[in-house]
Amino acid sequence: MSQASSAPHVVVVGGGGTGAAVAHDLVLRGMSITLVERGELTSGTTGRHHGLLHSGARYAVKDRESAVECIEENRILRRIAPGSFELNDGLFVAITPEDEACEPLFFESCLASGVPARRVTREEALRMEPNLNPALRCAVQVPDGTMDAMRLPLRFFATARRNGATIKPFTEAVAMTIVQNPGGRCVTGVAVQDHMNGRRYEIGADIVVNATGPWGEKIARLAGVDVPIQPSPGILVAVRGRYCNMVINRLHESGDGDIVLPQRELSVIGTSSWVTDDPDHLAVPANHVEEMFRQGSAMIPAIRSAQTRATWSAARPLIGERGASTGRELSRTFKCFDHAAEDGVEGFVTISGGKATTLRAMAEATADVICRKLGIESPCRTREYPLLAHTDYYA
Amino acid sequence: MTDVMDPGFDTHSTEAPGRPFRFRVFRYKQGDRAPHFEEFSLHVAEDTTVLDALTAIRNRLDPTLVLRHSCFHASCGTCGLRVNDREAMACVTKVVDLKSPVIKVEPIANQALVADLVTDMVDFYARFNAIGRAFVQAVAGPPDAATPEGVGHYSRFENCIECGLCLSACPIVASDPRYLGPAALAAAWRAVEEPRGLDPNAILQLTDDEQGSWRCHAAFECSEACPANVDPAGAIMLLRQRQVGEQLRSMLGGRRR
Amino acid sequence: MSERLVEQSPAGREGVDSAAVQRRTDGASPRRRGVASWGDPRGRRLGGWAFVLHRVTGLGILIYLFLHLAVLSLLARGPSAWDDFVSIALSPFFLFFDVVLIFGLLAHGLNGIRVTLVGFGLVVDRQKAMFVALMVLGAIILIVAALRIFEVG
Repeated sequence: MSQASSAPHVVVVGGGGTGAAVAHDLVLRGMSITLVERGELTSGTTGRHHGLLHSGARYAVKDRESAVECIEENRILRRIAPGSFELNDGLFVAITPEDEACEPLFFESCLASGVPARRVTREEALRMEPNLNPALRCAVQVPDGTMDAMRLPLRFFATARRNGATIKPFTEAVAMTIVQNPGGRCVTGVAVQDHMNGRRYEIGADIVVNATGPWGEKIARLAGVDVPIQPSPGILVAVRGRYCNMVINRLHESGDGDIVLPQRELSVIGTSSWVTDDPDHLAVPANHVEEMFRQGSAMIPAIRSAQTRATWSAARPLIGERGASTGRELSRTFKCFDHAAEDGVEGFVTISGGKATTLRAMAEATADVICRKLGIESPCRTREYPLLAHTDYYA
Repeated sequence: MTDVMDPGFDTHSTEAPGRPFRFRVFRYKQGDRAPHFEEFSLHVAEDTTVLDALTAIRNRLDPTLVLRHSCFHASCGTCGLRVNDREAMACVTKVVDLKSPVIKVEPIANQALVADLVTDMVDFYARFNAIGRAFVQAVAGPPDAATPEGVGHYSRFENCIECGLCLSACPIVASDPRYLGPAALAAAWRAVEEPRGLDPNAILQLTDDEQGSWRCHAAFECSEACPANVDPAGAIMLLRQRQVGEQLRSMLGGRRR
Repeated sequence: MSERLVEQSPAGREGVDSAAVQRRTDGASPRRRGVASWGDPRGRRLGGWAFVLHRVTGLGILIYLFLHLAVLSLLARGPSAWDDFVSIALSPFFLFFDVVLIFGLLAHGLNGIRVTLVGFGLVVDRQKAMFVALMVLGAIILIVAALRIFEVG
């Protein structure tokens, strides 16, 4: 079960979905992995996200690259992690004449991106989802799904650990060990504070991967580099009552509160967008909560009088420069920064951006960069490798 | 929603004006001789939850505090705690709803303590693994609903969020390490009701045991504590009803179904 | 358009594998609240009180049973030993314990009806209301019994 001592040792900082998938991918390529996370696994942005298994339809018109990425990963996740999703498909519903005018371009863009789409009449939509606003005009069916935001990544952790990775929650990276070489600086390890016993120690590494999402810039500074990661929070509202089985999206240009999806006995409405500098202090703004109810009840009127179960915020890690006004203009694709090339610091790589649906693809790209840096030829196996059940993490 | 940095009043603020609340937080690090309580003071808003308070304590006052949390809406099951001696999910428990100026926070009971408010759930999951469990159930949906083309029938996650509050509240789990416990027995009943590839007869027989469904003494504390409408006590009783039926059937010469 | 695949946790060993639990927690065993927690009133709800009451009255009735047999054995020692006992038995102090005994019998017996019904899956959704109703009935019977008992004394 343990790796050979000659295998390169990679330390992954960040125990969200990205870190989990990176650990899983690298272990399968024969590397020795230690992952450190300052809190509970997925306690950052990953656990809090809406829970949407994207079909990519949402990006088909404006961000073709994202759409293609999403539908491919959607299919892969269904294959490697069956049982972690409510697979009831999704509907994009046109409520107003303006929405309806967007439908032809939307439908064509889906097909052009490879997102399976089917036109649905008003009557058929109401038969499938009786709680929809009866004023709806038409709809498009796409292969969206609901994912369990915490348990899906936990399957990556379970599999990685079973294959030999060391996973250390409640272990906070507090410093990087940096060596000054003639050619430049090199990160050779991570100093961590173990919050379970209060001890501080160092973990040596051939490469350190920064997979900390919106905390990416904070961790990068420990290595003396800067990465353009803008934390961009959004709000989510969960109400009691399962008002739909399918994911209900508003057919219009991307806006706030235009997705309602089911989770067990709840319906979750999201999301909004603003920017912040501190991912540790996310407000839950009253006006954003009200907007969620307004937009959600435009699609499902019963939501207006539903009882609130919870309201919370999650920070997206968006790649881009500071100064953007809401975060929606920043790219949603992911990027792997090799800081040797960008900043002259060896042994340090940052993966950021992306969305929950693309965790496996982000990991593949990161693992490819790491293999290149280490001079290892090892193909990615995660497209086909079936994941263990999340309960196996505790076995 | 353009051109705004942090819009609107923060409904979950931990710096709102008003009377402060005292949080007595259970602390323990591995190697300590014994746990102790530490006090922190915070101001809260109407919607501030116990989890908001604890994360604010960690972020602003004591970065060594460890606690489990993930989804912030009682779906992941990780933030279960004992708050003022009652099992609760910290993320949906509003501080002002506790109607007390002092909030005592402890880890859930009957699990191994890792540090501070964190328990290791390995014992909890070992019980599920003993009986097997399906995570996704089929849902009938509203009577006049049709399923979308390509979707055979609607599916949804089982209600149980694996929080362990039921095991924390159960007086038998508190005193007998061999009892299978409400969470696993509720899952067993759900598997009997809707097998989905599991063997319902094997599960019925496995739980028809003095440490299975018959060890429960109807305190119903588990169902009171459950945040997810699983009603484990009800499930245990239904399991017994089925088990008695099977016993009678086999005694009267019929075969087990 | 979508596949329906159901995943399940690995079914396996019977019962809880304590060895596996020990390995993962580095020897730290579950912090069980223990039998002592049955006596802790904090956080306890109605069903928990019913549980504790049932245990306590059950033990009490058991102890009473032995006392009762001991008392009956006095009969074997002839009429004067029995008459001595009867004179003590009519004292108010003793009558008070008779009332306590009746309380125990009623609590245990009536809650026992609930436990039996519920334990076979009957009336489960109304079990809390049933408990309250039975205890109210028991209280009425207890008061009537107490009045009758102290009339005699």
